[in-house]
Amino acid sequence: MTEDTALRAELLGRKYGGRRGGWALRECDFTLPRGRICALVGPNGAGKSTLLALAAGLLRPTEGTIEAPARELLAYVAQDKPLHPRLSVDDTLRMGRELNPGRWDSALAERVVEGGGFSSDTLVHHLSGGQRTRVALALALGKRPELLLLDEPMADLDPLARHQLMGLLMAEAAEHGTTVVMSSHILTELEGSCDHLLLLHGGRIRLDGPVEDLLAAHTLLTGPVADLAPHTVIESRTTGRQLTALIRREGPVEGPWETSEPSLEELLLAHLRTPEGAAA
Amino acid sequence: MSTPALRGPYWVTVRQYRRTLWLTGALVLAALAVIGGLRIWDLQTPDVYLEDGYWRPADDNSGFRMLRFGVEQLSLGMVLLPLLAGAFVAGPLVAREFESGTYKLSLTQSVSPAAWLRAKLLTATAVALATTLALMGVFRIGWGRASGTWDLNWSDRGPYEATGVVLFAYVLAAVAVGVLVGQLIRRTLVAMTATGLVMGVVLLVLGELRWSFLAVKTVTGPRDATLWTPDNGLMMDMGLITSSGARFDQSVCWDEVNRSPRLDGMGDGGMRIFENCLTRHGVTGQYVDYHPQSHFWPTQLIETGILLALAALAGYAAFRLLRARHP
Repeated sequence: MTEDTALRAELLGRKYGGRRGGWALRECDFTLPRGRICALVGPNGAGKSTLLALAAGLLRPTEGTIEAPARELLAYVAQDKPLHPRLSVDDTLRMGRELNPGRWDSALAERVVEGGGFSSDTLVHHLSGGQRTRVALALALGKRPELLLLDEPMADLDPLARHQLMGLLMAEAAEHGTTVVMSSHILTELEGSCDHLLLLHGGRIRLDGPVEDLLAAHTLLTGPVADLAPHTVIESRTTGRQLTALIRREGPVEGPWETSEPSLEELLLAHLRTPEGAAA
Repeated sequence: MSTPALRGPYWVTVRQYRRTLWLTGALVLAALAVIGGLRIWDLQTPDVYLEDGYWRPADDNSGFRMLRFGVEQLSLGMVLLPLLAGAFVAGPLVAREFESGTYKLSLTQSVSPAAWLRAKLLTATAVALATTLALMGVFRIGWGRASGTWDLNWSDRGPYEATGVVLFAYVLAAVAVGVLVGQLIRRTLVAMTATGLVMGVVLLVLGELRWSFLAVKTVTGPRDATLWTPDNGLMMDMGLITSSGARFDQSVCWDEVNRSPRLDGMGDGGMRIFENCLTRHGVTGQYVDYHPQSHFWPTQLIETGILLALAALAGYAAFRLLRARHP
């Protein structure tokens, strides 16, 4: 892995339940540059959690390879926010220190836990879902990782806590140049904070790249029905003689159409609605 | 519990299971209090002089009876200790991490998966061995008084394990098997049950086999005298021999007695037929096969060796499995 790559997959594949099951993830190829805040999006069952667990080194690929930083340099927060229920919040953070000697930033971890509305001697199994998320994030951030893998991190949080923690996360990432991969099936959760996008659908990568480039490469057009070649049509809809289409441009769009840049949501929905899709 | 000396995954393991540690310590203290108390109760009634410098506990000494009972129960508990230790390691210590998903947390910290599992294995081993040692000490307090009485001989199940080194080996094997089974069966209760069953079978099988490790000694004597087992030995077999020294199957003569008319059971008449039958077959003596008490340590060491091999095998497999599953 080169200096400026945080995560790279080559023909990565993983079957469910060992060798005999179906594919959870297949033929994934991507390179995530360092320092990006990457949104890993896709519908439920698209393979997001599998991809993150592979990146975290918890699963072995069935085929292909994935290159990620060493165990010491990455942090992973699983979807169910696993924590030891009989440890107090204090003990959980102490555990972070004990298991990550030389890296642990207790001030940062405590700052994440602060404002959660619970005292630090509360046992973890007395915490609410959102409070657990906070402790899990504290554990992940306190490790000062180079790559932070977050599986549905904000799902349990109320809007206020989500805003606060997202702000903290982004500030930390910006300050230390941390690469973050965050999965979600709710796009609005990630829009605005992410500069890189990985769209998974049916275990395959459908879109991969910097958000700006992806948006710039696509055009939303409306106008008379006509052949759109040489552009790649992602999705099109015809109402009477009126055509609405989302295309990936090959060269400038010339014709009697009104064009506009799609929003990230329009782009994602168009790709998700297309059965086979056009891999970017 | 303050644990200033512990670091890293060892600190985490002890911290997580500190209640279990307290409970273990409390149980050892309770055993000490009970056996010690019974020892003191027993002292309240003086012994009765028998003969030749031998004394025996007085018939109305309830303290002694209770002490014997206590020592028996304690030795039974100690035989079951490996099952408990193994089940705890397999279930709460290992399988629960996989069942509840906390392994995703534990295995993505800076310490390696092997170091994580090693901390669990070594902490459990240390605690289980220390508990065994402490209980053995408690057992000795009662054993010094109750040994040699009915069901409490050096070779009886219970005292045999509780007074030798073999119990340490059982505990080691149970912990290692637990670490393996806990990973194989990633469900707390099922893993506990399976480990308990495996160690129960090991305990029963080795209990059956242990007196076959060494060849028995044999003592012979005349047919009519009482033949005692020498050396405080464990009698394995006894029977009759003919003048040529061959072992004689008594059932031949019992059949003859049973076939005789108008005889039910062993009245004088039956006994006479039996004796005549023996004489006719040239039976002149009897034998006893036995293990002398000097076989105690060699038997213990052989059994310990087998268990340590099992422990090493299970431990090796556990770490191989971990490495195969988690890069």
